[in-house]
Amino acid sequence: MSSWMLKLGSVFTTLLVLAGSFGYTTSHLKNARAPLQPPLADKAVAVAPSASPVAPTATLPPLVPLRGRTRPPSAPGTPIPSLQPNVRSADLPPITFTHVS
Amino acid sequence: MDAQTLLWVVARATGLASYAAICISILSGLALRTSVLDFLAKNRAMRSLHDFTAWIWIPLGASHVAALVLDTTARIAPQDLIVPFRTDYGQLAIGIGTLSLDLFAIVIVSSWLRRRLNDDLWRALHRASYLAFALLFLHAFLSGTDFDSPVISSISWAAAAGLGILAVSRVLWGRLPD
Repeated sequence: MSSWMLKLGSVFTTLLVLAGSFGYTTSHLKNARAPLQPPLADKAVAVAPSASPVAPTATLPPLVPLRGRTRPPSAPGTPIPSLQPNVRSADLPPITFTHVS
Repeated sequence: MDAQTLLWVVARATGLASYAAICISILSGLALRTSVLDFLAKNRAMRSLHDFTAWIWIPLGASHVAALVLDTTARIAPQDLIVPFRTDYGQLAIGIGTLSLDLFAIVIVSSWLRRRLNDDLWRALHRASYLAFALLFLHAFLSGTDFDSPVISSISWAAAAGLGILAVSRVLWGRLPD
């Protein structure tokens, strides 16, 4: 086999491997089983400050439309009304008997 | 595909292609020292091929390391190309690759300076290419992202095994068959 044929064959083989590798790597961009997984800690730290959590609001939207009337602003420290079911104790003597008619 | 992804693809593809080109280079070098491959070509043609293959694997190898240095996810610093075992992850796998790169650099530079070197010294330095190839294979095996692909793995193992058998038979039994 002549020298130039060997050279051409080696170039062709390498180009074939290069093209095949490009095809394979572009179709398998990420490999979860790859032995080396560079840490991404710096990236996570860099992203964290920009993603500030939304502060909880202390005001609730009105349940009934106000129709022109304006509600006076509640003073700071005023308990927020809640429509959640709950049980409150009253300052009354406890019921110890019942009347049966 | 963004620039970083393209660099990652280039690094992997050129790594595999440079491995193939280095296999051809070592095969042609072995062919000069054993008569097992005499059916392929005469020694002069093989020698010409052996010299020529450096111009294939050097640019591919350089592209592989350049892409990894530019890829911010890989986190390979320029110093990591010279000093082994100083990366903050995969120290062994990447460090072996650095050693292989250093040895190949010594082999190629000593070949360019062959006329100025003692023959024995040049021969000793040139034989380091076997060790460099063994380290290269180990680097690919330990860190290669695509090495778990059956096709890529089988071709790489077959090439390395073939070269290993030829090299060992050359060392043990000399120029075969005579």
